[in-house]
Amino acid sequence: MLKEPIKLNMNEVPYPPPQEVIEAARKGLAKLNCYADPRDLGRLRGLLASYSGVLEEHVVPSPGSDILLREVIHTFSKDRKVIVVSPSFFPTVQAAKQFATKLITLRLSPPEFDLDLDLLMDELQGPCLVIVDNPNNPTGRILLDRQAVEAILESTDTLLVVDEAYYEFSGVTFSDMVHDHPNLAVTRTMDKAFSLAGARIGYIIAGEAFRDAFSSFYAFLPQPSLYAAIEALNNSGYMGRNVRRVIEERERVWSALNGSGVRVCPSSTNFLLVRTGIPDIVRRFRDIGVLITDISNQLPPGFVRVSIGTRKENDAFIAGYIKIREACD
Amino acid sequence: MKNIVGLIVNPVAGMGGSVGLKGTDGEIHKRALELGAKPVTPTRTKVCLSCIESKDDIAFFVAPGKMGEEYVKALGVPFTVIGTVGGETSAEDTKRIAQAMVDDGVELLIFVGGDGTARDIYDAVGSKVPVVAVPSGVKIFSSVFAVSARAAAEMVDAFVEGTDVTEEQVLDIDEDAFREDRLASRLYGYLLVPNVRSFLQPGKAASSVSVSSIESKKEIAAYIVEEIDHETLYLLGPGTTLEAIADEMGLPKTLLGIDAVFGGVLVGTDLNEKGILNLLKRYEKRKIIVTPIGGNGFIFGRGSKQFTPEVIGQVGRENIMVVGTRDKVGRLDCLRVDTGDFELDKILCGYMEVTVGYREGMMVKVRC
Repeated sequence: MLKEPIKLNMNEVPYPPPQEVIEAARKGLAKLNCYADPRDLGRLRGLLASYSGVLEEHVVPSPGSDILLREVIHTFSKDRKVIVVSPSFFPTVQAAKQFATKLITLRLSPPEFDLDLDLLMDELQGPCLVIVDNPNNPTGRILLDRQAVEAILESTDTLLVVDEAYYEFSGVTFSDMVHDHPNLAVTRTMDKAFSLAGARIGYIIAGEAFRDAFSSFYAFLPQPSLYAAIEALNNSGYMGRNVRRVIEERERVWSALNGSGVRVCPSSTNFLLVRTGIPDIVRRFRDIGVLITDISNQLPPGFVRVSIGTRKENDAFIAGYIKIREACD
Repeated sequence: MKNIVGLIVNPVAGMGGSVGLKGTDGEIHKRALELGAKPVTPTRTKVCLSCIESKDDIAFFVAPGKMGEEYVKALGVPFTVIGTVGGETSAEDTKRIAQAMVDDGVELLIFVGGDGTARDIYDAVGSKVPVVAVPSGVKIFSSVFAVSARAAAEMVDAFVEGTDVTEEQVLDIDEDAFREDRLASRLYGYLLVPNVRSFLQPGKAASSVSVSSIESKKEIAAYIVEEIDHETLYLLGPGTTLEAIADEMGLPKTLLGIDAVFGGVLVGTDLNEKGILNLLKRYEKRKIIVTPIGGNGFIFGRGSKQFTPEVIGQVGRENIMVVGTRDKVGRLDCLRVDTGDFELDKILCGYMEVTVGYREGMMVKVRC
């Protein structure tokens, strides 16, 4: 039997959810003949609102945050210029390209990958929809701070969506600002920090300007996902512990790579962006049973994204990197 | 103890650019002179030498006369002349003097020229000593070159401070094919250079011929043609993306040259600087459309030297349109300019919108 590869290519958290969450999903399995009960959906919505520190009316759950981002772009791009950053979460860019009547991409240039706020503000002429992933995927950088968000939101006829898929790792959020800023929406996911990638639960925390559009948005969630998400939010202590473990591992991997002369971007997520001169590195890693992500369609050659795995998996990656580099020297 | 640094200048490098000759290999530089081309290496060489901050820590070994000596003399620093040359210089002089410099203990060799000069230097020194390549040719596609003469000076300083060296590519661009509108290149060899990645230009990446790339170019072309103003003169730079735009207009395109279109009609093909300046006198409204070179991102200063500082200055930054497929632009660190006029380069720096698809722009930083 073939050995399972080490998956460091999907930004998953390597630790499975606790037994109670798995048991809850199992209860949902027993109801597979039925659509989700609206009361259960309401409970999830309430828990997400409480977790996010916002009023329940601002929260809309969905099977994955990418669906919400797509919905926002589809709804609001018809008469607005859409502004995204590059590189960025690929489904966002794809949806923007598909629906936007005018699309402007702000390039984040290596090595810093900073977002030039002056440039962004200059682009805010006429009706605009701005979408920024914060922290950014694949660079791992925080692109916006509260002051920048305030400035964008004060621009006339501008809607801002901040994708906070990695919020639990960065600790940076603007969700509380939706109460005072109708033109702000924040998207999040339970795929990452809550170890529920297989359940696909995303949600939007929407300001007033977005809420009308989402009043008719109603997505049935799969029963096992719904039950698992409710249990995970009721007993979220495991999530905090896992996030701390991932961050510790991320820093350890960063130091190990950096110490051996590899260029690694500082990260506020559960992945690292690595620049390497080793040709065909993704294939070389695949050959030794480690899967990493090629970013060459969005960045100059040599950039790869590596998710943080278990200590053992990360050690395999570091050892593999050194071995591959020695073989290429 | 001073570092021994050699200097060899190819005095005819780059002369074919503004007159549209796409190179000066062999005897072509004489034709360039007939067409009114002016030497470009003096400025590049002077800029590089004047920007070297570690001059006092360097003992210069220089080629005679206009191959190096006269520039270092003007600096007022001590130097030693290596070798002799006759009236007209040649590739053989470059090779012979480079070899002599290595024999005399040069630790770093600065050369000024293009891809052809880089090949001569490679033939002579191989990996015996590191080099700093100052870009001054028409074709500068090898990754061995610094991004500009100033960057070359900083590489010299980095070497004097003890930075390590790395290998970079020397490409062999077939100049006859280039002149016939074909880009044919092969890897010629590797030269050692100070390892200062940010000062080195990435090599030319081959144009993508994938289906998605062809579709992207068509998408860009459709948008540009839809937006075209028939009262404006459009100067179309080299490259397959510009070819797609011309194709969308139903016009032929000189792949590696500059063509002009007004009112949907071709009003100039394979233009040199003089031809472009003549057109600019006749048309009040004008725009340049260029695409960055894949891999290194140059929009001016490499491969399209007919767009001289004079031409670019007359057209104006606000009338420069940049186009390129999403994949090509996404893989660039930034856009680059190296027109030979540093003041103009500074004006061109900042962000420019690159049309990467139908009604789709990408704001990309321009650096010099």
